[in-house]
Amino acid sequence: MTPADLLTRAPAPARRRGRSVTLAVGVTLAGLIALLALVSLVWLPYATDDTSGGRLAPPGDGHLLGTDKLGRDLFTQLMTGSRIAVEAGLGSVAIAALIGVTLGVLAAFAQGWLDDTLAAFLDILIAFPTLLLAMLVVAARSATLGSAVLAIGLAQSAVVARLVRILVKRVLAEDYVTAARTSGTSWPRTVAGHVLPNIWPTLVVNLALQFGLAVLAEAGLSYLGLGAPPPNASWGRMLQEAQATFTTAPAGALAPGVLLVLLVVGVNLIADGLRDTLDPATRGRRS
Amino acid sequence: MRLPKNARYAVAASASLAVALTACSGSGSGGAATGTWDKDATVNIGSLYEPQNLDNTAGGGQGVTEALNGNVYEGLFRLTDDGKVENLLAKDYKASADGLTYTFTLRDGVTFHSGKDVTSADVKYSLEKVLADDSQSARKSNLQVVKSIATPDAHTVEVTLSKKSISFVYNLSYVWIINSRAKNLKTQEDGTGPYTLGKWTRGSALSLDRYPGYWGDAAANKKVVFHYFKDATALNNSLLTNAVDVVTSEQSPDALDQFTSNANYKVSDGDSTTKLLLAFNDKAKPFTDVRVRRAVSAAIDDKKLLASVWGGYGKLIGSMVPPTDPWYEDLTEVNAYDVTAAKKLLAEAGYAKGFSFTLDTPNYDPHPTAATFIKAQLAKVGITVRINTITPDEWYTKVYKNHDFTATLQEHVNDRDLVWYGNPDFYWGYDDKQVTRWVEQAEEASTTAEQTALLKKVNRKTAEDAASDWLYLYPQIVVAGTKLSGYPVNGLNSQFFAYDIKKKG
Repeated sequence: MTPADLLTRAPAPARRRGRSVTLAVGVTLAGLIALLALVSLVWLPYATDDTSGGRLAPPGDGHLLGTDKLGRDLFTQLMTGSRIAVEAGLGSVAIAALIGVTLGVLAAFAQGWLDDTLAAFLDILIAFPTLLLAMLVVAARSATLGSAVLAIGLAQSAVVARLVRILVKRVLAEDYVTAARTSGTSWPRTVAGHVLPNIWPTLVVNLALQFGLAVLAEAGLSYLGLGAPPPNASWGRMLQEAQATFTTAPAGALAPGVLLVLLVVGVNLIADGLRDTLDPATRGRRS
Repeated sequence: MRLPKNARYAVAASASLAVALTACSGSGSGGAATGTWDKDATVNIGSLYEPQNLDNTAGGGQGVTEALNGNVYEGLFRLTDDGKVENLLAKDYKASADGLTYTFTLRDGVTFHSGKDVTSADVKYSLEKVLADDSQSARKSNLQVVKSIATPDAHTVEVTLSKKSISFVYNLSYVWIINSRAKNLKTQEDGTGPYTLGKWTRGSALSLDRYPGYWGDAAANKKVVFHYFKDATALNNSLLTNAVDVVTSEQSPDALDQFTSNANYKVSDGDSTTKLLLAFNDKAKPFTDVRVRRAVSAAIDDKKLLASVWGGYGKLIGSMVPPTDPWYEDLTEVNAYDVTAAKKLLAEAGYAKGFSFTLDTPNYDPHPTAATFIKAQLAKVGITVRINTITPDEWYTKVYKNHDFTATLQEHVNDRDLVWYGNPDFYWGYDDKQVTRWVEQAEEASTTAEQTALLKKVNRKTAEDAASDWLYLYPQIVVAGTKLSGYPVNGLNSQFFAYDIKKKG
């Protein structure tokens, strides 16, 4: 509990429970996928290139969810896919946070023409479709998971930067910050001591939402063949490959689809729960 | 189409009289047929290939061939569904002793849909249209041997070649005979075929109407409508709901179960001419070494790959030649799947510990699946494959034009395309002086027997050299309702002759 919490009216018990349920469900769902991803690093039911399973074997009989066209175990691919999804989410968010926060703080402090230029640049970048940006990056760097993560991270950094810029401007307008600055506190110390502590709750919630979007974006790119190259079992690629066999072997398309939903919904629930807990602006609004 | 009304009635009347006479004469097959199928039926055809325009020299895509070849337009010759060349608008032809002059006699009484008679001037115009600078015809390069075209009289065309070309007549089966006065051929037509163009609704359908003034046997149905789909699932569903009667070419085996298990449908597994190739750059290390190419070919279990991608459909091939080409020979035993032999070859070539290479893989099916499979297979002999996914545009620039690749995957759709191994500048860089000479000699051969014998040699030599690895031959799967008969099952070069299709009432 943050110090700020103590200052506000204590929330009603019912609302507190609702908030913790949201967070708990979110953590459970996303945690499940994270666990799959972690386990995949040390153990997989089959080798990823083991094609001994037979074409489109049904679930059961040594293969929990059956096999794909090439005879590879679906559950193994799902686990590898979890790892790729989590990697894509974390990687993109890390890039978005790094570039976004830097640009946002810079723009907020810059004032004048530099602020205007940066703001205009960010608006253009936001208006630019993520998918198109990703295709450009892929064309320049060849299709790998790294390219996809870079493209998604770049696109998201604009969103983060715009948010950070507004948040920081708001903090800078506070009387105590003006006092600190007029008393000679250098701007790096202002950022570290006053700005970041005040903006992080909103920032974290936003980054959690961006994580979900990044996972979806990576699946979309892989679906188009622009994400992690084969034989990496990205969920998007699995969906694409299973599309033609959906009527005869639905598990191949259902399983990655369900996991994708679980992870994204889970992360969004976490973001919701965090927002209710951390963000002073929404706290108490629903009571 | 533009016949005077009374003339149209006259044609219809004589046609029905002929039918009645046949029925009375009691000849088994003819009588039976008239009783069981509807002469005025509309046949609905489902396809994934809508033409971009209606001109086969303007890059309209394979949909142009599918809908119009043989149906609306005809050539001097026809390539039948089983790969034979027949006289069509040419009644007869004669080649001079030196093989450089061809004299074609045109069939009498053939009219364009606009009503004009077909003359030698139209033939000259049509051939020149294919050879024109702005022509995008796939046969343009094959027909460059044409030196001059003379028209001594209205029914005779004399073509002089700059060198002998045994495939000349075959290549002419791709040249549509078009009215020299026709305009706007991208959206209209003026051919001689059994159908006239009805209505083309872009993005959805193209209809053909039976041409009452057709010179040959009238089409067995009154109207044909090609319905175009973007999505294979939607196409199959429309077949299930009887919105279409036949699907020209299925692209995945998995939707077929719903038809094979249903007595109302028939699934035909014909021979296509589309081959899936693992094409090495024969001028890039390590694929300059024949032993390495043979090793890679032997290390991949093509049979299992085919089963993975196509279920029980499709065929294995041991070379570039599909069974419908005249110089086909079963070479599947050459460099057949044998991991021990592959390892031995690699050791001989100095790669006992294997090597690694980048496989440029087009990003659409079946290439990523095939690449994944190849990677897994080659790992067993110590070869590491890096899969680099590229778009079709990138493939064209990087691989086809700039030859900047080590190995790639690609499907080759045409028949008789073995001869590309005789061109050392082709993208795969196979350069064998003897093969180049055989290909040249084959084209200048005096008889088809001589041509066939030479190309058989090319076939065997390229197979033994593992010039490429020919993974498999695609199936040509046509699914039709059982009410339908007489439809083509091989779809050679994506042709789809509709005039023999009979539909039960």
